[in-house]
Amino acid sequence: MEVLRHDLVIVGGGAAGLRAAIAACELDPRLSVALVSKVYPMRSHTVSAEGGAAGVAREDDSLEMHGFDTVKGSDFLGDQDVIQYFVEEAPKELTRLEHWGCPWSRNEDGSVATRAFGGMTTKRTWYATDKVGFHMLHTLFQHSLRHPQIVRYDEQFVTRLAIENGAARGVVSLDMREGVVRVIQGRAVILATGGAGKCFPFTTNGNIKTGDGMALAYQAGVALKDMEFVQYHPTGLPGTGILITEAARGEGGHLKNKDGERFLVTRDYGVGQKAELGPRDMISRAIIQEIEAGRGLAGPDGEYANLDLTHLGADAIQKRLPMVRELSMLYIGVDPIQAPIPVRPVVHYMMGGVDTDIDGATSIPGLYAAGEVACASLNGANRLGSNSLTECLVFGARAARHAAQYSKGTSDVPEATLRRFGEEERARLDALRGKRGGERISALRREMNAAMEAGCGVYRSEESMAQCVSALAALRGRFADLRVDDKSRVFNTEILAAIELGNMLEVAESVAVSALARRESRGAHTRRDFPVRDDLNFLHHTLCLRQGAGAPRLDKKSVTLGKWIPEERKY
Amino acid sequence: MARDAHPQAMQPHEPGRTRTAPPKMPAQFPFAGNYRSYILFDATGLVYLLAGLVALRVVWALGTGPEAWARVQAQLSHPLYVLFHLVALAAVCFVAVRFFRLFPKAQPPRIGPAKPPPAPVILAGLYGAWIGLTLLLVAILSGGLFG
Amino acid sequence: MSEVKTRKFVVQRFDPDVDQAPREQSYEVPCQRNWKVLDAINFIKDELDGTLSHRWSCRMAVCGSCGMNVDGVPTLTCKKPVDELPDVVTVEPLSNFPVVRDLVVELEGFMEKLTKVKPFILRAKERAVEEGTHRQSPEELEEFKQFSLCINCMLCYAACPVVANEPEFLGPAAIALGHRYNLDSRDEGAAERNEIFRGEGTVFSCSYANECSEVCPKHVDPAAAINQAKFGAVIDWAKHLVLPRGGK
Repeated sequence: MEVLRHDLVIVGGGAAGLRAAIAACELDPRLSVALVSKVYPMRSHTVSAEGGAAGVAREDDSLEMHGFDTVKGSDFLGDQDVIQYFVEEAPKELTRLEHWGCPWSRNEDGSVATRAFGGMTTKRTWYATDKVGFHMLHTLFQHSLRHPQIVRYDEQFVTRLAIENGAARGVVSLDMREGVVRVIQGRAVILATGGAGKCFPFTTNGNIKTGDGMALAYQAGVALKDMEFVQYHPTGLPGTGILITEAARGEGGHLKNKDGERFLVTRDYGVGQKAELGPRDMISRAIIQEIEAGRGLAGPDGEYANLDLTHLGADAIQKRLPMVRELSMLYIGVDPIQAPIPVRPVVHYMMGGVDTDIDGATSIPGLYAAGEVACASLNGANRLGSNSLTECLVFGARAARHAAQYSKGTSDVPEATLRRFGEEERARLDALRGKRGGERISALRREMNAAMEAGCGVYRSEESMAQCVSALAALRGRFADLRVDDKSRVFNTEILAAIELGNMLEVAESVAVSALARRESRGAHTRRDFPVRDDLNFLHHTLCLRQGAGAPRLDKKSVTLGKWIPEERKY
Repeated sequence: MARDAHPQAMQPHEPGRTRTAPPKMPAQFPFAGNYRSYILFDATGLVYLLAGLVALRVVWALGTGPEAWARVQAQLSHPLYVLFHLVALAAVCFVAVRFFRLFPKAQPPRIGPAKPPPAPVILAGLYGAWIGLTLLLVAILSGGLFG
Repeated sequence: MSEVKTRKFVVQRFDPDVDQAPREQSYEVPCQRNWKVLDAINFIKDELDGTLSHRWSCRMAVCGSCGMNVDGVPTLTCKKPVDELPDVVTVEPLSNFPVVRDLVVELEGFMEKLTKVKPFILRAKERAVEEGTHRQSPEELEEFKQFSLCINCMLCYAACPVVANEPEFLGPAAIALGHRYNLDSRDEGAAERNEIFRGEGTVFSCSYANECSEVCPKHVDPAAAINQAKFGAVIDWAKHLVLPRGGK
C-alpha cells in the first residue's frame, strides 16, 4: 500500500481547487501541495461557465451595492459576514487573474469591461467574450504550472477521507490508470469538487458533477447545509440541457411565450423593471408558470419559452455572444441571428453543500471546503449569476490560507495508521469490481433522476417530495445489489460510475429530505403548499446529517445577519 | 489498417505506468484525404533535386566548351526531358499556390507598430511578383532583353 | 422519416491485462436523429457493454475530453452528428497516441509538451494587485485571442504527420499556446519562449501539412500560430545576433 506525504491535499482541480493550490504556494513556497482530481484540470466543469465573474469595477458601483444585491438575491439566507468578505475580495481576485493572463474583454480605453447580469443593480460582471469559465480555468491551470510544489495527481478518484482521532489526515484515492489504491497524507484537506447536478436528468452539468466531495464529507460526519436549494438556470436548451448564458439576456435578449409576448414585462412575476435581468429563481418560476398556463411552445423535448436575440443584430451576436450562437446552431439547429432560441429551466448549481464557516473550515479539524461543494453560505437560497466563479477564487484562496496555517500545527501520522485506511478501501473497491448483482448502474441512475425531477423540481409539494424521499431510500437499498460488469484493473470507468452513483444517491437523499422539511418558499425552493417566505420559523440554515443506512437527521444553523435586515424580496 | 507511428510518438519521458498499445498514424495517411496534397508538396523535393542535377549538367557543359554545349542543347529537346520540365513546372506551380495560400496567415499580427496588409493584398503582391519575375526571366533568357 | 436509425459501430477495444494487441468489437446502436457520436458511445456503455472505457464530460465541445478517431478522422465526438455517419462506423482512440485502454489514450506526453513552452505570463517585475489591471486595448486582445481558444482536445496532435514521426516535436497546441503568450501585450517572455521554439522539439519541424487546423473544432488555426512562431523565432534570433544584450 503506497503512502504519499504532502502538507496540503486538495481534492478537485477546478477554479476553487487550482486557486487554493496557488494561494498555498504564495503563502509559503515550502509547502508541498497535492492536487488530486478525477480528471485532468482542463476538463473540470468550471470550463463550461459562460457569462462572467462579478466584482466591483466601476465608479458608479460600491461594495455596499454588491453586498446588498447578493444578500437580497439569496432571499436573506446568505451569511452577511461571508458576503461582506466576498465583495471586498472579489475585485482583487479578478485583478490577480488578469495579471496571470486572463483575457478579460476590454473597453476602448483598455480597462476591463463589465456587463449587466441578473439581480445586479449595476454592471459589475467581468467577462471574456462568453467563455469566462474556459478562460479562467485555463489561466489558473497554466499559472499553476509556475509552482513546482504543486504535485498533480490526475485521474485519481478520492473514495474516502482518512479521519483519525476526529481530524482529517489525508485521503484514500483510486488511481484510475493503474487501478491501485493509494493513501495521500495531508496535514489538511480541502474539498473543491463542485456540485451534484447529475442527480437530475436535465442539467447543464457535465458527466463529472456527481457530488463526490459532498458525499465524502457527509460520510465522514460533516453536515450538508441548505441542500434543498437547487438552482434552476432559466435558459437551458431543451433535450441536452446545454447552458445558454445569462449574458444573452445581459446583452439585451428577451424571453417570450408562444404568443410572442415578453411575459416578464407584461405580467407580474416579481422582477419589476429588471425584466429579463431579474434573479434566476424568479425567472425560472415565470417560465414554468407560463408553460403551465398553456402559453409555452411545444417541442420534441418538452415545452419551452423563446429567448429572442434577433433584435440585437448579427454584429453584436458575433462579437459578444459567439459561443451562444455556436451552441444554438450545433445542438438545437437554430441560428439566433435569424430565430429565437428555445429554452427552459435546467438544473445548474447547488447553493447548498458541505457546511463550512467563513474560513472554509468544516466541523472536522483539518477538513476544509471551497467553491460549489461548500456552503459558507454565500449564496443562501438563490445565487446571483456571475457570483460563483468569483466565489471559487475568493474562498479557494481563503480556505487554502487557513488550511496552510492549520497544517503547521499538526504532526505526522504513523504510516501503519494510514496504510490501514488504504487497505480497508482496497477491500471495499475490490468487492465492487466485477460485482455480480442484479441492478444495472444506468437503470438505478435513471430512476434516481426521475425521482429527483418529479420531487425536487422548480415547484415542489409535500406529496412529490415525500415520494421522492421514499424512492431514494429504496434506491439506496437496491444499490447494495449493484451489477458491475467491468472486472478490469486499468482505467475501469464502470467502477467509477458505480462509486459516483453511490455518492449521488446520498446527496440526492439529503436534497429531498431537506426540501421536505422546509415548509416555506424561499429563493429557489418553491412549494405549492407553502408559497410564502416564513422568516419567523425558517430564517435558518438546514443541516442534514448522515445516519448510516437509515434516513438522515436534520438540524438547524442560524444565519449570520448584519446590516441588511430581511425585507420583502421584490425587484 | 493504419500505419504505425513512431513507437515513441506522444510518449511521456517517464515510462507509461501501464502497458500501452503503440501509436498509430491517422488512417488517411499518406495517400488519402488532405494528406495526398501534403505528400505531393513534400515529394516535389525530388523534382528539385533532379532539376538541380540537370542544371549542374548544363552549366558543366557550358564550362567545357561549344561542342559540349551544343550536345547538351540537343539532348534537352528529347521528349523525356521536355516531359520532365513540364512536370517540374507543374510542381513549382503547385508548391507556389499551396505556399501562397498559407503565407497570409503566417504573418505576425504586428511587426513593430506596423500591421501586415490584408490577405488579398498579400496574395496580389505574391502572385504579382511571381508572374512579373517569370516574365522578366523569360524576356532575358529568350534574348528579347539585353538581346 | 424514421427518428431512429440503427448503425453498426466497430469500436477498438484494448485491455492491457488481457489483450496482446487492440481488437475490434461491433455494436448495433439505435441512433436518434439529433444524437452526436458521443451519445452513441454512451449508449453502448450504459446499455450494451459496461466494460467500454472512454473519457467525456461537458458534452458541449469545451472540455476537450472526448476526442476519438471516427472513420479514421480525429473528431470531437460530442460535436459530430450521427446523421453525418455511414451505416457502419469505426471508432478508435486518437491516432499518434499510445493507447491506455479502449478509447483512452496516454495524455502525459502532451502535458509535458504543454509545460515546456512556459504557458504563463512572464514579466521582469510582477504587478501588484493594488496597481489594478494592466491596460490592454481591444485590438491588443484580438491579436492573441484566437490562439487562446484551445481546449486541449489534441485532435491536432492526432492529425499531424510530424507528431507521428518526431517524438520531440512540441506539436500544434503547445506551440499555439506559447505563441499566444508571446503575442499577449502583458507578457515579456517572448525571448525565452522563442529559444524553446528553436530548441529541441523545434517549430521548424512543421512542414505545412495544415491538418491540425483542418481538424481543430474551435478554429484556433494552430498552423497559423506555428508559422507565425517560426517567423518570430527567426526575427528573435537575428535580433540577438545583432544586439546580444539589448532590445526586447
